[in-house]
Amino acid sequence: MTRPTALDRPAADRPVALVTGAAGGLGSALVAALEADGWAVAGATHHGGPYAADLADPAAADDLVRRVIGTLGRLDLLVANHAAMTMAPVETYPVDDWWLVVDTNLSGSFRLARAAAAHLASRRGAMVFISSEWGIIGWPEASAYAASKAGLIGLTKALARELAPDVRVNAVAPGVIDTAQLQVDADSAGVDLDEIRRRYAAATPLGRIADPQEIAATVVFLASAGGAFYTGQVLQPNGGTTTA
Amino acid sequence: MTSREGPAVDRGRVVLITGASGGIGRAAAVRFAAAGYRVGVHYLTNRAGAVRLAEEIDGVALGCDVADPNAVAEMVQTVEAELGPIDVAVCNAGFYEERPLARIDDALWDRTLRVLLGGCFHLTRAVVPGMRASGHGSIVMIGSELSLIGGADVAAYVAAKAAVLGFARAIARELAPTIRVNVVAPGAVDTPLLPDRDRGPGYASTVPLGRIGRPDEIAEAILHVAEAPWTTGAVYSPNGGVVIQ
Repeated sequence: MTRPTALDRPAADRPVALVTGAAGGLGSALVAALEADGWAVAGATHHGGPYAADLADPAAADDLVRRVIGTLGRLDLLVANHAAMTMAPVETYPVDDWWLVVDTNLSGSFRLARAAAAHLASRRGAMVFISSEWGIIGWPEASAYAASKAGLIGLTKALARELAPDVRVNAVAPGVIDTAQLQVDADSAGVDLDEIRRRYAAATPLGRIADPQEIAATVVFLASAGGAFYTGQVLQPNGGTTTA
Repeated sequence: MTSREGPAVDRGRVVLITGASGGIGRAAAVRFAAAGYRVGVHYLTNRAGAVRLAEEIDGVALGCDVADPNAVAEMVQTVEAELGPIDVAVCNAGFYEERPLARIDDALWDRTLRVLLGGCFHLTRAVVPGMRASGHGSIVMIGSELSLIGGADVAAYVAAKAAVLGFARAIARELAPTIRVNVVAPGAVDTPLLPDRDRGPGYASTVPLGRIGRPDEIAEAILHVAEAPWTTGAVYSPNGGVVIQ
């Protein structure tokens, strides 16, 4: 099936995507991949730039979505990619840190979805929540992160049913990606970056961790014509870690 | 706990169940008591119901808000002092409210997360030190079939119950082999939480097994997974066949 991609459209008519966590390893790959596919992208970052937003702040999501639509005129795709991550044993995990992870990742994404839903419905748009392999299989000392990322899968399935057929809602749950985020994992395990990369690669059937670009490609697919019949789904680019 | 003269008395195993004044929690309290457990019967507002149940099953009624980590920690200390070390914790306290996405305000969202997910987190962190000291323990969290399949107008509830799955799976890995952690994710059950819409023949006709569940059936499942020695990180979903996938 050959259908036009966003690149075939005139620049003024390009669809608009909002990507949060745009300064991170995966976020910058998402912005680049969507732009290469013809999207106009508003990349939201924690600080700095025209779309700065602290998504742990309950007021931030409404304000961010309003700014994007005000500046770019429309919104067709929400990619909730921002994330906070700390690791600690559950019984000594500082309660405030635990909730900061959950509220940033899960509540912040919920508020973005709530802020964008009506406009996305009018555009027959889509949402993609960036979950994680750890939201599916869990991970020691990552109880807050795993809870938040599993919660995003629930949010995906609930909103997919509620917002159909006007808005498609999907999640991508990547395996370990080669980004600066790996330092948290390395610190938790008490090893250096090379060693944590080696350990994760050894535990992955495909024998390596992911490049951010191949995760971004999965999101671009979900947002493209080829993804038009997906809703309520969780795509898992993870090198085979969840086959067991 | 006071010590007495003479041989030690086997006071039985101890379970603490949150949200035990009604519905599934109450049925679980009755079932665990029948299996020989001393039961901590937690309640939020239904003190009379919890006290009456505790008297019936020789347990202890404890009131607190599971969204408050300090109150939960105090409750656990009380149970350990009055009944002894906790063998099983059942994170059951919850509520259910349907609202379309646009009408889920921050207050409802936050309360849902703090009670459904926070109730599990706060209770877990309070019981784990004692379970580590005992060398064993079992935690059962009550999920929902909706966390597996989604549903309209319940985004906060589904997100929180799905987050419970991730939390349980993470700590099942983390706390093994000393402490087992499992989830029971029921379908529609005949409790006060169930919307009237789901009580009639209309809904029942969509359930492969032709009816909604009974609280005692869920209680049986909770006791089973609580005591299944080779089961951790599992999600057991009694749902009449609504989720077949």
